[in-house]
Amino acid sequence: MTKSVDPVLVEIVRNGVMAVTEEMKTNLMRTAYNMIIYEALDFTVGLFTADGQTVSIGLGLPTFIRGMAETIKAELKHFGKENIEPGDILLTNDAYITGSHLNHMTFSLPIFHDGELIAFACCMAHWQDVGGQLGGVTTDIFSEGIQIPVIKYARRGTVNQDLVDIIRMNVRIPERAMGDLRAQITAVKTGEKRFLELVTRYGRAEVLQAIQVIMDQSERAARARTSAIPDGIYEAQSFMDDDGVNVGAPIPIKVRVEVKGDEMIVDLSDVSRQVHGFYNSGITTGHACAQVAFKCLTSPRDYPINDGSFRNLTVIVPPGRVVSATRPAPMRWWMTFPMTVIDTVFKALGDALPDKVIAGHHADLCVSLVHGIDPKDGKFFLAHMGPLGGGWGAKLSEDGVSATVCINDGDTHNSPREQLEAKYPLLIERYALIEDSGGPGQHRGGLGCETVIRALTDVTMNASIDRAHCLPWGLHGGLEGTGNQVLLRRDGEWDKERANAKVLTVQLKKGDAYALRSGGGGGFGSPLDRPAGQVREDVQQGYVSRVAARDYYGVVLDPETLEINEAATADERAAAIPVHQKRVAAQGQQVRRLSAAELTQKPPGHAPIPCLRISCCGMVSFPFLENETPD
Amino acid sequence: MNPGQSRIAADVGGTFTDVASFDPSTGRLALGKALTTPDFLVKGIESGILKTGSDAADAGLFLHGSTIAINTMLERTGARAALLITKGFRDIYEIGRVNRPDSYNLYFRKHQPLIPRVDRHEVNERLLASGEVLIPLDDAEISRLGENLRREGIEAVAVLFLHCYRNPAHELRAKRTLQEAMPRAFVTVSHELSQEYREFERASTVAANAYIGPRVAGYLKEIDSHLRGLGFAGAFLVVQSTGGLFSFEQAQQQCVRMLESGPAAGVVAAQAVCRESGIENAIAFDMGGTTAKAGIISEGRVLTTGTALVGGYETALPVQIPTIDIVEVGTGGGSIAFVSEGGALSVGPRSAGAAPGPACYDLGGDEPTVTDANLVLGRLGATRFLGGEMRLDIRAAGRALYGKIAGPLGMNLVDAANGIVQVAVTQMAYGVKSVTTSRGLDAGNFVLVAYGGAGPLHASALAREIGIRRVLIPRAPGHFSAVGMLFCDLRYDCVQTRFTKLDDLDFGEFETNFGEMERKGRNAIEQAGVPAGSVQTGRALDMRYVGQEHLVTVDVPLEHFERQDRQAIKTLFDRIHHQRYGTSAPGERAEIASLRSSVTGLLSKPSFDELGHGRTEPVLAARHGTRTVWFGRETAETPIFDRELLQSGNRISGPALIEEHASTTVLFPGDELTIDSGGNLVISVAGA
Repeated sequence: MTKSVDPVLVEIVRNGVMAVTEEMKTNLMRTAYNMIIYEALDFTVGLFTADGQTVSIGLGLPTFIRGMAETIKAELKHFGKENIEPGDILLTNDAYITGSHLNHMTFSLPIFHDGELIAFACCMAHWQDVGGQLGGVTTDIFSEGIQIPVIKYARRGTVNQDLVDIIRMNVRIPERAMGDLRAQITAVKTGEKRFLELVTRYGRAEVLQAIQVIMDQSERAARARTSAIPDGIYEAQSFMDDDGVNVGAPIPIKVRVEVKGDEMIVDLSDVSRQVHGFYNSGITTGHACAQVAFKCLTSPRDYPINDGSFRNLTVIVPPGRVVSATRPAPMRWWMTFPMTVIDTVFKALGDALPDKVIAGHHADLCVSLVHGIDPKDGKFFLAHMGPLGGGWGAKLSEDGVSATVCINDGDTHNSPREQLEAKYPLLIERYALIEDSGGPGQHRGGLGCETVIRALTDVTMNASIDRAHCLPWGLHGGLEGTGNQVLLRRDGEWDKERANAKVLTVQLKKGDAYALRSGGGGGFGSPLDRPAGQVREDVQQGYVSRVAARDYYGVVLDPETLEINEAATADERAAAIPVHQKRVAAQGQQVRRLSAAELTQKPPGHAPIPCLRISCCGMVSFPFLENETPD
Repeated sequence: MNPGQSRIAADVGGTFTDVASFDPSTGRLALGKALTTPDFLVKGIESGILKTGSDAADAGLFLHGSTIAINTMLERTGARAALLITKGFRDIYEIGRVNRPDSYNLYFRKHQPLIPRVDRHEVNERLLASGEVLIPLDDAEISRLGENLRREGIEAVAVLFLHCYRNPAHELRAKRTLQEAMPRAFVTVSHELSQEYREFERASTVAANAYIGPRVAGYLKEIDSHLRGLGFAGAFLVVQSTGGLFSFEQAQQQCVRMLESGPAAGVVAAQAVCRESGIENAIAFDMGGTTAKAGIISEGRVLTTGTALVGGYETALPVQIPTIDIVEVGTGGGSIAFVSEGGALSVGPRSAGAAPGPACYDLGGDEPTVTDANLVLGRLGATRFLGGEMRLDIRAAGRALYGKIAGPLGMNLVDAANGIVQVAVTQMAYGVKSVTTSRGLDAGNFVLVAYGGAGPLHASALAREIGIRRVLIPRAPGHFSAVGMLFCDLRYDCVQTRFTKLDDLDFGEFETNFGEMERKGRNAIEQAGVPAGSVQTGRALDMRYVGQEHLVTVDVPLEHFERQDRQAIKTLFDRIHHQRYGTSAPGERAEIASLRSSVTGLLSKPSFDELGHGRTEPVLAARHGTRTVWFGRETAETPIFDRELLQSGNRISGPALIEEHASTTVLFPGDELTIDSGGNLVISVAGA
């Protein structure tokens, strides 16, 4: 039994492994060449036991929580433990092992001490380009770039130069790729060096035992918190817009959660089957969805992230689902759907854990890719524009947060607009919050953002955004926020409407532009219960329009002074109860396009405001387009 | 009236105001500690001066560092300010970098702007990244906005226009127009503080300056007039976050430059001590009641960073101003130890603060702290704390430790106390190492200069943990920041973004840019009203490989520019990149993002009176009895020395305790201590 281990040493090792993974992260970020790693933090580094259990992960991105551990396990199985030697560095980007896409080059370094394999240092990071089709929707893995099976990048200290040459020939910007490769090697070597220092200082047996104790402690904490959830079976569903191939065909996401004592089962059997377009992810990610949701609810601030925390979580996900896709399913945009799966788990537990869950969020990276030839130097450029940041759901006791990356992302930064303009032939016309985008509620959902990007030369753009139609839902009587949107401005004319938020391989001429709008978060609790003073404050700050304050919150404000008209507010709130109930009931329905006749029969009190909610009138409007198109 | 010769330095902290005064004619350094008086801060300064026995009328220089700037931001007690910003970008200050560091916490929060949305106004103007004008500024629009803001009672206005670092014309015109429209308002424009790209960071910087400006400027004026009233006729200088001094007038305009003035002065003082002692590489370690801070001195230079983050990382407001790179760890004497849900022993970051304080203060605190653990281990004396002004209750400490730690974990009291100190020490060690290793430096090669109330108490243990072999405890470790100000020089920093590939670098244009920055620096130094001995200029470039984002600051010797030696610059960059990250790519092209200029006006430094020289053996009177101290699971009957009575040349072998008014130095068994001629305690650490 591990009881006898010195609790002080355990704490030292806990801080020690976290310091190791932090340093790996720092080194990777600072030496990486591509913006996706250094700004978007599209990577994870970690330390693992000799059999591939997670000891500590330096985030990175939450949904990468399983990718490295499963890769190491696959590598152990492939080579056999006895054939992994000191000086080896293992590599793969097998999408069905990492559960994600081919961009995720994953390097693992076995750590030996006195000739014995004691741990792994691992680094999974997103390369900007791994070859394959440029833009558009892919429909199989082969069009997505180079595939590297589980192999040895270095064998006993000697790098496999043939492999390096093959990679160089298969990627569009080999210098960047090699820069990122070097950065990843530095990261895993840092992990090895520092972990060995820890082992040397405190003793191998002691450190390895302390790691087991840390995992046991995490397990105890997870079990205690799971016990606090009422036993029961909880279900919820939501849907994705489409897979980019069968436009307009929604994809169901249905989850089932069972809580029994100190154990939880997340069953994803009823999530949609794998799809034709590139929105699939592998089974590793199916498990990651459940783990991310579970951690958010049971141990959100416990570190290091380790596998002990998940010993009481069972994940059921049969192969062939959209989060457990099998070869040769296309995987390039793997990261979008899992976010909605996670959010749907929160939705399922809305009644069981009201103080822990969160209403729906925009659930998409809201990134866009632009490429073309830069007139300044005549060279090809590929600009990764994003993430935009969007609205997050409200909670039992707090408003949702505005303009923040989705749950797939963590300490992920947007790029300074000034730098984008200096680097690429693009002009950012606007980057702003969207008024009224947050779901009305006693606690309001966070606001989404919009940006307008003008091409200064002819370019091609792509955006593969989902959740235009399944709006971020409210909970406990809160209403939904707005959905994600993409619009194009060509020859000075904005699109009136688009079927979804996917814009694939569209040519924009010099002077054309596109707009991205991220959704707002869902509200929590009835907006009719939001204190009028808070509604007034929101109106004053421009987060909520005065008209929406009346329509959704039943708060009547003086148009000049914004003073609360108490009497009118009381009347309005009383009258709005049935309207609000209808709106709550209408949530989660698919888009209703209303007839012109229906449009004249708006709910009582409904003023001609730009309306963004299905539960209201179903019309979509883009207020910024009406009055301004800079110069 | 002629100003006198002496110098007075005052460091206003949250709890105490420390004053150091130095008379160069006698070499006498006098120290005073007074309680900080939040309602009327100048009162605390005045009583501090009184305690040193000096007279403001005799002083030629008044040097000042204060937490007022940072506290005004953290406590949100600044002015009602407005932000004018390029059209289309009103919300960038609120949107920020959209990151979510606390990735699994659904109750995460992001930074809260100092200027609410309703007070942020868009201006129809636009520059391109090249600095060309796309939409010209309309002065009438600014004028109208200014009128409105004045009527609304706005006290301060910040202006941020995109790409102003390439062309400040719009910001300058807006500033002039606003000053005319609202003559009593505090007007600040972004390029005057930072000419570096990154619009959110610059917006946050200029907004912070506007927000704190009126209060900080008022505070400085109040001190000035109070001192003048006391007969002070010298120059009033303020410590910046770089540790350099700037004039009282500049400080009133560019208040965000003094956010970290106290901690920065401590690092500069450590640097001065190191210079005297011939130490090239040192870690300046300051441990107080709630946090520990560390700055790095490498090859004699203090390491700086381009952006300070104010507040915890998750919700921090960035201030893009050169700052001494200081890492802060939430571990101090008052940090509370607890057993976490999973059964782990954890320390901090929650602190018992000054009230209720550690359990042993007997002021109602019942949670065990690092101080309580030290008391139980015998390292602090119950009757000797703050020179005996405060009695510590060892029973209360024991009760708290037993009830909250030892009992639940099934340990004995001593193991629990040792454990708390050890966990605290390793946390600090990781914090310190994160700064050095992220720069590619090996902390083990550094000397640990420890100060602050709790620094000397943990220095030897911390050194062991990091692998440091030599520790230095300077004189007056409890007043070190104030003393440090006496060693600061005048300094002016300027950063300017100029994206260019190294191959395309136009040396002529760079010479003009640097020349302009240096001219401004020299002017600022001249205007400070203190004759500087000589003026030194330093040039650096923020560089990266083409395609990278993160920048490395490379100090570039002047001759590389004179000889227009691209290759030398590239080689230097490759070397620094390699040192810092373990890799470099000499075959790849490099690019430059920003130019950094620092102009330093050297001031004469105080030279302290030398300590009396003694024998190897300390005088008998310095011995102050013994105490039983736990070192690990062993006890040792440990001699106690009074630092006041130690003389240079004295040697003491550990175990020993060296007590002085505001701190205690612990010598572990095997440690060897020498008092050097500067009066520093120099410890050679056993077994490290």
